[in-house]
Amino acid sequence: MSAAAAMAGRRGWTHGLRLLTVLLVLLGAGFPLYWMFVTSLTPSAALFAVPPHVWPSWSELGVYTEAFRTIPVGRWLRNSAVIAAGTTVLSIALAIFPAYALSRFQFRGAGLVGLGLFATQMLPEAMLVVPLYAIFGQFGLLNTLAGLILANTAFTVPVITWMLKGAIDGVPIDVEEAAKIDGCTRIGIVLSIVLPLVAPSLAAAAVISFFHGWNEYVLATTLISDEALRPASVGLASFVGELSTPVHSVMAVGLIYTVPAVVFYLFVQRYVVAGMTAGSVKG
Amino acid sequence: MTPGPAPDAGAERWTPYWFIAPLALYLLLFQGVPLVQEAGLSFTATSLLSPREHVFVGLDNYRNLLDGSDFHAVLATTAVYTVACVVLSILLGLGVALLLDAPFRGRGVARALVTVPWAAPPVAVALIFVWIFNAQYGVFNFVLRSVGFAAGRENWLDTPELALPAVLLTTIWQIFPFAAVVILAALQGVSAELKEAATIDGADRLSIFGAVVWPTIRPSVALLSLFLTIWSIRRFDLIWLMTQGGPIGATETLVIKLYRDGFVYRDLGQAAAVGMVGVVVALAVTAVYFHFTRRAERAAGA
Repeated sequence: MSAAAAMAGRRGWTHGLRLLTVLLVLLGAGFPLYWMFVTSLTPSAALFAVPPHVWPSWSELGVYTEAFRTIPVGRWLRNSAVIAAGTTVLSIALAIFPAYALSRFQFRGAGLVGLGLFATQMLPEAMLVVPLYAIFGQFGLLNTLAGLILANTAFTVPVITWMLKGAIDGVPIDVEEAAKIDGCTRIGIVLSIVLPLVAPSLAAAAVISFFHGWNEYVLATTLISDEALRPASVGLASFVGELSTPVHSVMAVGLIYTVPAVVFYLFVQRYVVAGMTAGSVKG
Repeated sequence: MTPGPAPDAGAERWTPYWFIAPLALYLLLFQGVPLVQEAGLSFTATSLLSPREHVFVGLDNYRNLLDGSDFHAVLATTAVYTVACVVLSILLGLGVALLLDAPFRGRGVARALVTVPWAAPPVAVALIFVWIFNAQYGVFNFVLRSVGFAAGRENWLDTPELALPAVLLTTIWQIFPFAAVVILAALQGVSAELKEAATIDGADRLSIFGAVVWPTIRPSVALLSLFLTIWSIRRFDLIWLMTQGGPIGATETLVIKLYRDGFVYRDLGQAAAVGMVGVVVALAVTAVYFHFTRRAERAAGA
């Protein structure tokens, strides 16, 4: 065999090995969700079978309509959606102008604001759940979705402000000068010129806060005790590890809660990854 | 920072403050005030049932933490859990990032799919992994048994030595995609010419990695470790739902202890003291990070 052929052969071999490893990684990454799906479509008699069923039984699809009938999934998902959407809107509304100010102005105290944002980002929310509970009790915010949105936003807005600041840093200042000559106000410039130019980062910020609201558990479980206001995270958590509710129904509910998040994420992940890494690379 | 407008823009002198004021006020209200309140509560005996009635007890709550041997175990568990999460997810993430950096057919799809675990809600992750780890009916044990491992008979989440590894496995499954994505983005900044030059000079893969790749991605990996550390210190949902900190405290981290003290034992004062320890730990980690990055920057002559 010639040297060139040997080299090509070795390259083909490493390439094959690489593809195999990629496949294994994807299998590992996907398996738990696949297992959730298979378990949801396993007849109840076979749930505790050894060896377990590894393929879904399509005739069991009724478990999904059954789950909606017996478990208040619809209401849980609605509450989760309200919390997630509220957190998104409030976070972005609060973050846009500070991000712009941090990017475009030199002012006394800018360093302090930056430091404060970074420090608040590092404050673990679970560590603050006790005083939040006490304060929310005083102001009648316990057992309200609005209160939960207010609490969630406090933990999303610092990172989002950073992300948007990083994005605005990348917008050339010239585009604003022209608008200023035309007599635009600062607020007008931010809303009509800068925002459209950072749309991908805005999308990333929206997705990150939406996910935070959709997934959040510790604040929801402490601040909400009214069953009618439970989000899906809290509702689903009540099933973890207990076997009195049929496992396949629980898995069906888990999947109903997971799939919208994963599918949504797959659609927008390009922006999220770009936005998050832009923020993290710049620091 | 981008150079701002000329300093003589007197009319706009207050604009940045107006722009920042709402956010500053918000964070003051929802993070600053709770933090102060937590500090205050930690010196009192306060019951969950009547959170407005406090009895000042001085340093008693902190003394309880220092005296009880279980708190040392909690700190140790938190440290082990955090370090394992950070190190293992970065190693795995680095491997996957290098794997997905080279061109191959379907790379875009693979890059998207590998992030799926990160997008799954933690509560759902806990739900499925508790089922997977089920001693009798779980697929994890089934696979172990099929391959001939005696461990396939273990009750993972109910055995003190095995619960933490099981929780760690679950956590790393969930967070390694984030590490992979961040490192993959950093790899795009690696100079192709330098790599090629090193290859022509006959450098092997490992020394290319050490001389060319690592210096480029190091700042990103450093920031990534900071975030992973903070997230691991504060991770509640996965651990609480999988083991509730048990069995016999084997998976009890700071956050789990805080929640148990406050919302199971209804002792808000004690929980607040644990929270203050957690806050100090988080801020200390951040300070250490800045200390080292600044030193690295100075060493690099930046």
